[in-house]
Amino acid sequence: MNTPKTLQLNTIKLMGSLLFLSLAFIGCQDDFLDEQPLSSLSADNTLVSPAGFEIYLNGLYWASRQEYGQSDNLFFITNFPGTDVGEDAGAEYFTYRNWVSYLTPITNEVNDNWNWAYSKMLPQANTIIVYGNKSGESKIWESEEQKNAVIAQARFFRGYTYNFLANLYGGVPIVDTIVAAPKFDYARASKSEVYEFAKRDLIYAAKWLPTADKVTLNGRLTRGVADHLLTEVYISLGEYDNAIESATRVIESGNYKLMTSRFGKHIDEPGDVYSDLFMVGNQNRSSGNMESLFVWQFEGFTEGGGGGDNSNNGNSSIRNLGPFLTKLSSPDGFRNVPTDELGRGVGRVRGTNYALYDIWNDPSDIRNSKYNFRREFFYNNPSSKFFGQPVAEITNAEDSLRNLYPYPRKIEGEPWNNNNGSGGITNDVYVYRLAETYLLRAEAYVRKGDFASAAADINIVRERSGAAAISMGEVNLDYILDERGRELLFEEPRRKTLIRMGKLVERVREYGLLETSRITIQDYHALWPIPQKAIDVNVGAKLEQNPGY
Amino acid sequence: MNRYLLIVFFISSLGFSQKTVTGKVVSPDSPEGVPGVSVVIKGENKGSITDLDGVYSINVTSDDSVLIFSYVGYKTTEIRVGSKSTIDVTFDVDVSNLDEVIVVGYGKQSKRNVTGSISSINMSNTAADIDISRSFAGVSGVQFNQTGRPGEVGKILIRGQNSLSGNSEPLIVLDGIIFLGSLNDINPQDIQAMEVLKDASSTAIYGSRAANGVILITSKKGTSEKPTFTINVNSALSEPSSELKLLTPERYVQRRLDWRQQSGLEANPDKILEYLSDVEGANYTNGVFNNPWKEIAQQGRTNSVDLSLSGRSDFVNYYISASHSEDQGLIFNDNLKRNTVRSNIDIKLTSFLTFGTNTSFSNRDMSGLSANLYQAYRSSPLGNYYYPDGSPTEFPVSTEQAAENPMRAALLTKNEDISNNLFSNFYAELEVPFIDGLSYRINFSPNYIWEHDYNFMRQDSYVKYNNTKARKHDEKRYNWFLENIVKYNRNIGTDHNIDLTLLYSRNHSRFESTTASAERFTPDVLGYNNLGLGASPTIASLARASDGVSYMARVNYRFMDRYLLTFTARKDGSSVFASNNKYATFPSGAIAWIASEEPFLKNIEALDLLKVRVSYGAVGNQAIDPYQSLTLSNTRKYIYGDGGSTALGVVTSSLGNDDLKWETTYTANLGLDFELFNRRLMGTVELYHSKTEDLLVRQTIPVMTGYNSILTNIGQVDNKGIEISLSSSNIITDTFSWTTNASFTYNKNEIVHLFGSDLNGDGVEDNDIANSWFIGKPISSYYDYVFDGIYQVGDSDIPQGSQPGFVRVKDLNEDGKINSDDRTVVGSGSSPKYQFGITNTFNYKNISLSFFINAMQGWEAPFNLINPLVPGRSLNQLDAGWWTPENQSNTRPSLNYSNPLGTNFYLSRNFVRIQDVTLGYDLEGPILETLRLSKLRVYINAKNLYTFTKWLGPDPENGGSYRTEQGSNDLYPLPRTIALGLNVSF
Repeated sequence: MNTPKTLQLNTIKLMGSLLFLSLAFIGCQDDFLDEQPLSSLSADNTLVSPAGFEIYLNGLYWASRQEYGQSDNLFFITNFPGTDVGEDAGAEYFTYRNWVSYLTPITNEVNDNWNWAYSKMLPQANTIIVYGNKSGESKIWESEEQKNAVIAQARFFRGYTYNFLANLYGGVPIVDTIVAAPKFDYARASKSEVYEFAKRDLIYAAKWLPTADKVTLNGRLTRGVADHLLTEVYISLGEYDNAIESATRVIESGNYKLMTSRFGKHIDEPGDVYSDLFMVGNQNRSSGNMESLFVWQFEGFTEGGGGGDNSNNGNSSIRNLGPFLTKLSSPDGFRNVPTDELGRGVGRVRGTNYALYDIWNDPSDIRNSKYNFRREFFYNNPSSKFFGQPVAEITNAEDSLRNLYPYPRKIEGEPWNNNNGSGGITNDVYVYRLAETYLLRAEAYVRKGDFASAAADINIVRERSGAAAISMGEVNLDYILDERGRELLFEEPRRKTLIRMGKLVERVREYGLLETSRITIQDYHALWPIPQKAIDVNVGAKLEQNPGY
Repeated sequence: MNRYLLIVFFISSLGFSQKTVTGKVVSPDSPEGVPGVSVVIKGENKGSITDLDGVYSINVTSDDSVLIFSYVGYKTTEIRVGSKSTIDVTFDVDVSNLDEVIVVGYGKQSKRNVTGSISSINMSNTAADIDISRSFAGVSGVQFNQTGRPGEVGKILIRGQNSLSGNSEPLIVLDGIIFLGSLNDINPQDIQAMEVLKDASSTAIYGSRAANGVILITSKKGTSEKPTFTINVNSALSEPSSELKLLTPERYVQRRLDWRQQSGLEANPDKILEYLSDVEGANYTNGVFNNPWKEIAQQGRTNSVDLSLSGRSDFVNYYISASHSEDQGLIFNDNLKRNTVRSNIDIKLTSFLTFGTNTSFSNRDMSGLSANLYQAYRSSPLGNYYYPDGSPTEFPVSTEQAAENPMRAALLTKNEDISNNLFSNFYAELEVPFIDGLSYRINFSPNYIWEHDYNFMRQDSYVKYNNTKARKHDEKRYNWFLENIVKYNRNIGTDHNIDLTLLYSRNHSRFESTTASAERFTPDVLGYNNLGLGASPTIASLARASDGVSYMARVNYRFMDRYLLTFTARKDGSSVFASNNKYATFPSGAIAWIASEEPFLKNIEALDLLKVRVSYGAVGNQAIDPYQSLTLSNTRKYIYGDGGSTALGVVTSSLGNDDLKWETTYTANLGLDFELFNRRLMGTVELYHSKTEDLLVRQTIPVMTGYNSILTNIGQVDNKGIEISLSSSNIITDTFSWTTNASFTYNKNEIVHLFGSDLNGDGVEDNDIANSWFIGKPISSYYDYVFDGIYQVGDSDIPQGSQPGFVRVKDLNEDGKINSDDRTVVGSGSSPKYQFGITNTFNYKNISLSFFINAMQGWEAPFNLINPLVPGRSLNQLDAGWWTPENQSNTRPSLNYSNPLGTNFYLSRNFVRIQDVTLGYDLEGPILETLRLSKLRVYINAKNLYTFTKWLGPDPENGGSYRTEQGSNDLYPLPRTIALGLNVSF
């Protein structure tokens, strides 16, 4: 039997030695709690070589295409309905049918575009810019030009994004770097400060981006792209001479010209030069297209081609802009079917009568030719005895608003992954082409009061399409918008153009498709609201809402 | 000490006739002998204690002497010495609720000596389950929400939600080892008991993992020398206990007409065929109605068989089992097949050295792609699901691509989804020679979990393009724990007992996965087995690892068997935290007083036991994934040019946090245990107040930072609650008994602090609207406009943008405008305020009947299925009624309601459910012996018989997510199940 005393001694000895062992164990290995991610890259371990910067740039190009492809209809609902050229007119949709109830700080696209800009574009661009500037000391670059060309791409996209934001929301918070810890006290800069910021980025980009003849990869940025966008930003800032100068740099660079004769992969098919511009495979410079400035790339059946993860089924222009033809029945009761040529439209955006009829007053304008505007439709269900016959005249509003209306054929294309029922197509998408550069310069001339030069630029564009020249007396900002409608219908982001030019409310009141849309739009709708989510979460400072909302 | 006593005995016995009595004390659970039993002579101040082998020796003065054998946990036994000199005693285990020996984490304890708050779950009443988690229903302090879906473990929450957005699942400890698999991997028949540790005193030994409570699961061991063979067979049928009410064809057509009228379109009932799609029109004309719920249903069916062999000898204790179960859910292809085997073996190598292992393997096969509930909800009742040749259509209504055929993917896809879990513990335990009560144990517990999910979609002969695609996903987890445990247990004198536990532990977890896919297979005969036959291959892989280290010490001190004291401290280090915050320490303490042992209470006849417990301590939450303190990225792909090749891109994805640290919960607990009237009424009352600080939070941050959220530590959340559990033997006669067990839980959850900021200068700490967190409100609160009926025709105050039939909300700040300033906290959900459960059990001779009623009250959830789902399109939805100008509802909106404010509808999730009824018959008497059986029981069990609720979804208990009107995948109905079972032992 142990006495308590011996027992205590034994215990103390034993525990003591155990404790000693444990401490020895701890002392010598504390680093096993340090973390190294096993399968995730970080800027710190990737942005240490030109190849590392290249894959961050690829991520930025991906983010840029997400503006168009991140969901089925975001790009289309953002840019076309509730403008002078389009309306989301299907009876079950609530889009700009009533401006007051539809356009609010919680409207999806108000939030989604904001998020795209701030969570996809800007952190990616800022990461490249910050690390690029830091990398100056290291010996990873072959030349200063090589480094600056990388930073220039990121700064272009940052400038692009701020211009995008200012053209929808007005002044927004400017974020010019990356954060290590969250901030909650963002404040809005003024609209002109945002444009100024974009201008500085674009000037840098225009200085350091390579010229188009030096760029072999299609879809990459070139100096002309930066100058083109710089022109628009100069106009927004009222710097018309600078705008004319930067547009002229593009036009006279020798790297671009308006296409005036047939070209590309479909040259043997019936068509004209304007239809060639939009045929599948013809958007990139490699097809011989010298008018192409910047193009979002889509490629079916290919990883990274714009389908699958985080993307929609390619380019969904026909789905959103095309009429819901498959809802049409032949007199003997057979619905039309999707075809490779027609795709499968669902009629989310119908052109306004202004865009489909009123602006087409020149019969020789090839932009309204049968190759470029589809105005005739046929019963195409082989089971119907009316197969091949023209569709009978429409008798009800429902059909004419949603299921059968003319449209520019530039939205048609090759079915995405060979599936003509998906509503997607494979065609690449123009962000900018040279025709718009001319129209931007014309706008700068108009604003400066040089109507002769403006008319000359407009006529260059018109001439290519066989439209009659106009006189300087006909030129004004509304004419510019008409010509943009003819040349750039459903290509240019029309809402942003109208907001930028201060013309949105006026022109919706005049040309809006639906009466309810024309009468419910208010003056305050000239800008989008700031998303409520952004206001709610910015607890450290008040993020001001645009007036009226 | 004993020697001293013996001398005293010897001296005092001089001159009298005296003899020495020896013997051995054994019990059913310690047949090798019970050490430490007190042996005293009645009426004399003399006694002895049994040694390690249960052997005692005592001198008595007369044959009339009576020996009293007593030990905690056993019935005190009195024996007259008589002429015997050898008296062996077999102890009966005391039936007292408090004297059960329960597992307390790194050891066992008599419940009498427990100072913390622990609920024990008796597994014998849950024979009909193949899912162990269902045993948590009705346990006080535990919120268990079943999903009823094969292979899915319900939600388990102990004492309310501590964490704002971190993990709130309790820690599972299986046979002493932290278990990182699914509860569904465990065969309930293998389980002896489960304990739920609730307060900080009992959970603090698990330190940083214990903030959400701990569930200790103990598997079975051999109990008799004779090998026992047990067979359990169970077979059940199930059907939906409720069906979400979708529009019938008649209502569907009426909705279309009403919608057209409300939208200003022609609405002539005679022209309905023009308003419907072709497919719908033809079916409407021909009276064909395809109920989507019927289209995707299958007969619910469960079968399980379980075999076990167990026994014990002086050197070996073994329990070996195998089981097979099949659970066929209520929707097509929602199936689970599970096989489990278990082997628990302890080998006593010498009197002081024991080796053993608990090893279990489970194989769960969830192959088959289930029918899609979300799509079924939306599918037109007038759609077509099959072509004449039996092939599935792509869309029930071909012009409506927003509703896919819910059966198509399930029918066209070959899916193999199998998960395996091998969980082992190998241990050695040394009773250190020469130092009584000192032992050392080492555990090594490797755990492999590997699973794969393979899919191949075959060609749909009705589409013109090649739609074949395949995907293979393989993943593997490897976790291990290495634990060193030192214990020291010693009586000092007769009044003092010390029980010391020390732990040093290391652990490691590694996860890795590989996913590969391809599409457009030609030929496609090999399915997913040869991905190389497809085009556009993709590949992705992931890996992560984490490490931890822990030190723990616990002291239990007992004085005079009625004053109890426990102190614990645990220090944990974990790699998942930021470099400056790798370590944290969690202390706790508790005292308990068994008042009924005091002389002044001992004489009260009605009072069998009264015990008071108080505890306070800290526990942590480390339930986050690795690398969360670091800034991470994702990969994305782009392509340049036509026919170009894929370009790899990296994009920013998450923002790091250099200060990320442990979340800490401080809990104060006051407990009262009582047993009254000869143990006819027993119960426990617990009051607790827990305070969680530095909450691990996925906080929404301004997207202008470049990120939508960050994992961080903020604020404080309190949970205060009461738990009452009662057990009453209402009637006990020789042939009939009626007992009632009831539990009641109340929990109040409240955010106390957030950022500690007051930016608007109103003197009150700011709320966080973006995250829907509000000071003084529960975690899951809803911030919204206040519903105030529906605008009616003729109302003069309809704001611009609204119209009759739209939802009216309150102008809270009475500024005459409805805008975002009119939002407030309109309710809360996720956890009920009250829950109660009552089980009544009746026994008449060999027949037993028990029924369990379960209820949860005081919670609500958004329910937007009430909103119209684009009624102009061929989409179906819940039939909750709608506003029309002729029949102006004040609760339901019109069919062209556009919800301009983005406000939600809310419904109460309150329910009372007849959850479990079991009728059993135990064969007894000579027949058993004739059949050479030791036990035979047959039973019928019914689950989820009836539910009282106003919830419009499939079931209020799992609630689901109905924030959008577009439908939900959480539409799985709770099954109502009738089972027939048989237990045989021999």
